[in-house]
Amino acid sequence: MSTSEVTWGIAQRSIILISRLPSAFFPSLVMPVFLTISFAGAFSGIVELPGFPAEKAIDWFLPMTTIQGAAFAGITTGMGVARDFESGFYDRFLASPASRSSLVAGSLLAATLRALAPLTLLTIVAVISGANLHAGAMTIVMLAIACLGIGLAAGAWAVGLALRFKSTQITPLMQSGMFLAVFLSTAQMPIDLLGGWLHDVARFNPMTNVLQLARQGFLGDVMWSTTWPGLLSLAGMCVVLVGFAYRGMQRVIP
Amino acid sequence: MSVAVAQYAALSRRSLLTTVRQPRAIIPPILFPLMFMALSSAAFDRTTQLPGFPQSESFLQFLICATIVQGALFASIASGSDMAHDIEEGFFDRLVASPVSRTSILVGRVFGSFVFGFFQAWFYFAVGLLFGLTVEGGLIGMFGVSLVAAMFAAGVASIASAFAIRTGSSEAVLGAFPLLFSLMFISGNFFPRSLMEGWFKTAATINPLTHMVEGMRAQVITGLDLGEWMSAFVIAAGFFVVGITLATMALKRRLAVAA
Repeated sequence: MSTSEVTWGIAQRSIILISRLPSAFFPSLVMPVFLTISFAGAFSGIVELPGFPAEKAIDWFLPMTTIQGAAFAGITTGMGVARDFESGFYDRFLASPASRSSLVAGSLLAATLRALAPLTLLTIVAVISGANLHAGAMTIVMLAIACLGIGLAAGAWAVGLALRFKSTQITPLMQSGMFLAVFLSTAQMPIDLLGGWLHDVARFNPMTNVLQLARQGFLGDVMWSTTWPGLLSLAGMCVVLVGFAYRGMQRVIP
Repeated sequence: MSVAVAQYAALSRRSLLTTVRQPRAIIPPILFPLMFMALSSAAFDRTTQLPGFPQSESFLQFLICATIVQGALFASIASGSDMAHDIEEGFFDRLVASPVSRTSILVGRVFGSFVFGFFQAWFYFAVGLLFGLTVEGGLIGMFGVSLVAAMFAAGVASIASAFAIRTGSSEAVLGAFPLLFSLMFISGNFFPRSLMEGWFKTAATINPLTHMVEGMRAQVITGLDLGEWMSAFVIAAGFFVVGITLATMALKRRLAVAA
């Protein structure tokens, strides 16, 4: 089998596993919807804050919860790899003549594709709940780029950890790593309204740029000046974390 | 000490030690609310200036009671999950086969959560005080809030135990978690009801947890208020009564099937 065939085969298996083990994937679909409702409902009053850039709370929170959902969808791929190690199935992959890079690439492709599920669901929620799509279809395009990138980055982070620890016990670290990456940014408030230590951390967190990329169509027009920092940050995160996953694979001893 | 009390004490101690000795089980329920408290109090601090926001020195002062309740909720669900583990691994059957009082199986678990919830509340207060929290009700106010948190923890542990005894599966107990999690979030716990609108405000107003946390919060942001404290305690006690009734019914049913 060629490298691309192995990659596609691994990705396909990971996607099929969603229907075979829905309980592992379901939370990454339900949680972002629930968080959207909770944040947009509970914090509806923050739009009254002088300098707050959104007309409705949902315009501010929905892109963040969609990205969070994409991240968790990506992580489920890493959880799958960890499960395969525990059951001994991954050892069979390692013993096969398939190239190791194609094994990683397959999982990362699956992580990216899995991010489409929360993206689709939250787009429907955005339309139903009357979120402002100021930039029309480009609003969703920008959100999709951010989600797919984060799905890949989160998947690489989780797969990298799974390859190092070979146990599902590492799941909390996979999740809390991405949780912190999202929430130590402008997830809840715009940078100008953040105070103290969180303002300083958010300023240097690449996720702030990714959120700006994802949110821009909900807040106003899509502009290059608010797009390129997000694209650059996504590229940086993907390069570092995909490298982390590949390095993990190089070190794996069956 | 009577035999029954000794059995209650031994099983409560076991429940508490099971929680404390498992870092994997204890750290996330303590750390997650703490993390959420740190992030939200930094992010939403300026919202305290919004017209209609309850007079608070900081968002941390507003949020601390919701954090305490969130911590109690998480830890008590973990305790219910431990009960399910006991059933899965056969320890429950060994207890039933022993001459130990039947009620002590339940009371031990629930009382362990009560004690854990009480001290967990003090832990959150200690962390909050380190970061500049002011509690207007002082030590008595903190004691009152911790007591409500402990009662609520016992209530949630009872509900989780009812699930555990009924299903015998720790996954089922954890599966019930989103239900309680929704109750926690669709409320006025994390932001004032006065700044909400529409159906969410209605849902938050109906939610008893909103009123429980508001009663606890009054001790922190306005000072000692017996009326507010009583309403918070009665709601927490209500959770306990419902939970312990369900758990007792589930226990009787399981014992009847086993016999």
